[in-house]
Amino acid sequence: MALETLYPRNSNRIHTDVLAEARQACYKTRDAFYACLEKESHKKPTEIASVGLLYPVECKKSRAEYEKQCRRTWVKHFDRQYCAKKRVHRLLDNDESRRGI
Amino acid sequence: MAMASVRNTYFRCIHRNVLYYAQHHWKLTKLSSPSVQLFHAAPDLLQFESDTAFKSVNGLVYGYRLSMLSRRQLCIGSNVSSENQSMKKSAESTSGQVEKKEDLPQAGEPTENTSGQGEKSEDSHQTGETGKSVRGGPVSWLSFLLLVTTGAGLIFYYDKEKKRHIEEINNASTAVKQGPSVGKAAIGGPFKLVNHDGKSVTDKDFLGKWTLIYFGFTHCPDICPEELLKLAAAIDKIKEKAGIEIVPVFISVDPERDTVEQVREYVKEFHPNLIGLTGNADEIREVARAYRVYYMKTEDEGSDYLVDHSIIMYLMDPGMGFTKFFGKNYDVDQLAEGVIKEVKEYKK
Repeated sequence: MALETLYPRNSNRIHTDVLAEARQACYKTRDAFYACLEKESHKKPTEIASVGLLYPVECKKSRAEYEKQCRRTWVKHFDRQYCAKKRVHRLLDNDESRRGI
Repeated sequence: MAMASVRNTYFRCIHRNVLYYAQHHWKLTKLSSPSVQLFHAAPDLLQFESDTAFKSVNGLVYGYRLSMLSRRQLCIGSNVSSENQSMKKSAESTSGQVEKKEDLPQAGEPTENTSGQGEKSEDSHQTGETGKSVRGGPVSWLSFLLLVTTGAGLIFYYDKEKKRHIEEINNASTAVKQGPSVGKAAIGGPFKLVNHDGKSVTDKDFLGKWTLIYFGFTHCPDICPEELLKLAAAIDKIKEKAGIEIVPVFISVDPERDTVEQVREYVKEFHPNLIGLTGNADEIREVARAYRVYYMKTEDEGSDYLVDHSIIMYLMDPGMGFTKFFGKNYDVDQLAEGVIKEVKEYKK
């Protein structure tokens, strides 16, 4: 997939993997993977995804699908986004639990 | 008879002493001259008052006072001087008598000291008595009236000025809200790019219609597609609600990867009217600078990369002048509302 993106400036090749269809497929697998993460959140994350994200073994399959459908950079981008979101949630939750101390 | 002679001498030559005594007496009754008051203590006056030897003098003094008022001249007077000579001798003799009669210590000494003061107070007494000039004290009815008038005048003047100033501010603030001639941000400018049909276009090709410009790139994971969908929906909504034609424009900030074909395929999916523009690196840099757009390549996978950029839609009026910008926080309805509002205000 990475090779596909290499092209000289004058080439007529179009990157179809960023067009609507491909995008939609990517989003679907992405959502599936993150749903799996949410579901198995109580399990211990052992597998490494990217940019510091860890996930439990149960979600390995969806991860593979996800990485196949989406561009590498996009996977990283979404993982980074997910981590940030999680961090914010954790911060808010922690604050609520600490209130009253 | 003796009384008559005494009166005459007092009247002519020993008027200074008389004045002084008269002053004393007057002070008791009127208390108008502060300088004399300061000098003469109250007990002295009382003592003086009780002196039986001068009771007759006091009686004479009253009459004398009236005559003195009529004269208004103390030591130098034509009618006085004429009689002076004849009375001088008798005055000298009687002055001695007067001196002896007076046993009060302050009679002799203060006379010389307070003669000037006595004269002054005499004058003031005189003028106060007539009531025409107001040299009696610092405050008089006239000066008070003037003060009140001036004060009132000042208050009214300043009050009026303040009201006028407030009105000015109010007018200025309301004027600012309505008029578009407030002064706009210096966003926008000439550019030369290639549209998705391969045709070279400049900013002048967009004159005459409202345009909504979005900067992005085709390899954008989620944000650009989302924004472009929003843009397309808003364009349709605006057309539906207000019947206004707005031209959506997509300008790429990734000149390396976004070729004309790429852009064409990309924009095709969002809206039939969406115009995609691209160009070479210099042209893109120029237009991004004109519109104050931030964009930067983030090195990711070596060849593949993402472009970090500001997520803003620019609304340009038919003269390609900047009107308003919309960020990511606007949803479809808010965007449509905002655009309609701006268009309506522009038409005013």
